[in-house]
Amino acid sequence: MHELGVVIGVVNKVIQVAESNQLQSVDTIVLQIGQLSSMIPSYIQACYPAAVDGTMLEQTKLEIEILPANAMCKACHQVFNIIENRSQCPHCEGDDWGLLSGKEFIIKEIIAQ
Amino acid sequence: MDTFKTLEIKESVFENNNIQADLLRDELKQEKVFLLNLMSSPGSGKTTTLVRTIETLKDEMNIGIMEADIDSDVDAHTIAQTGTRVIQLHTGGMCHLDADMTRQGLSGLNIDKLDLAILENVGNLVCPAEFDTGASKNAMILSVPEGDDKPLKYPLMFSIVDVLLINKIDAIGFFDFDLEAVIHRARKLNPNITIIPISAKTGEGIGEWADWLRNQTRLWNQS
Repeated sequence: MHELGVVIGVVNKVIQVAESNQLQSVDTIVLQIGQLSSMIPSYIQACYPAAVDGTMLEQTKLEIEILPANAMCKACHQVFNIIENRSQCPHCEGDDWGLLSGKEFIIKEIIAQ
Repeated sequence: MDTFKTLEIKESVFENNNIQADLLRDELKQEKVFLLNLMSSPGSGKTTTLVRTIETLKDEMNIGIMEADIDSDVDAHTIAQTGTRVIQLHTGGMCHLDADMTRQGLSGLNIDKLDLAILENVGNLVCPAEFDTGASKNAMILSVPEGDDKPLKYPLMFSIVDVLLINKIDAIGFFDFDLEAVIHRARKLNPNITIIPISAKTGEGIGEWADWLRNQTRLWNQS
């Protein structure tokens, strides 16, 4: 359970932010997860209740935004999704590209009272 | 009516681990302790390779070993028989070690007077590659029976390690294992990777591996 340890890290960070901003309660946590990150969104959702159990975030909702695995082709400079195109540029079939996004695992924001 | 506000955090969750890892690396540098993070699949021969490595180097440097496993202490027992300082870390179900757990392990090992500390990470080619432990260098073992397609299946692991040991090379005649293909695939992912074929059983290649460790430890203590 690779996700659980990481989600506990998220929960601790959010509690720290909530305390330092003197928030009474947190309504929603918004995460951004890249398609190439090793985190699987459904597993994150599944272990989230265990991670917040007994904390001030027990009633908090979790929202996840997925960031695409986009790369720019070094030959024709088109942007394409490397998962959907099996790491090959669909425009010129080049396989030399630079990754633009997809490895992120970010706490984007919290919505709180 | 409740009033809600949005607080932007925009913080990478891995960032904290990366900061902790850099901090640990700096401290190890000050203490002149070279930490090697050794990764591989279960059953590739990590512990047997470590025993060979200890036998080769124990008269010239002080070595400490951290064994990380989800459960059991069989590996720590095997290492303890060599007379080397060893500590068993239980990850409690976690599939990898992070910088914090590595720090806890090192404090349990007592790094005073150590020259070389080796972390035997949890047997797994996926998650350990994602988390910086704070090690000076990263190594992995691929054993011949696992097959020559592993760099294709687990590219991240092959792209982050400094050295790849290809173990059980004495058994290559029994398997359809194309050594040249592995070397080609690994170098495509990681042009600077050092590749050393070894047999922890017969001792083949262990001399070259020990030289790599001696050299890296010397460089770590110099710069």
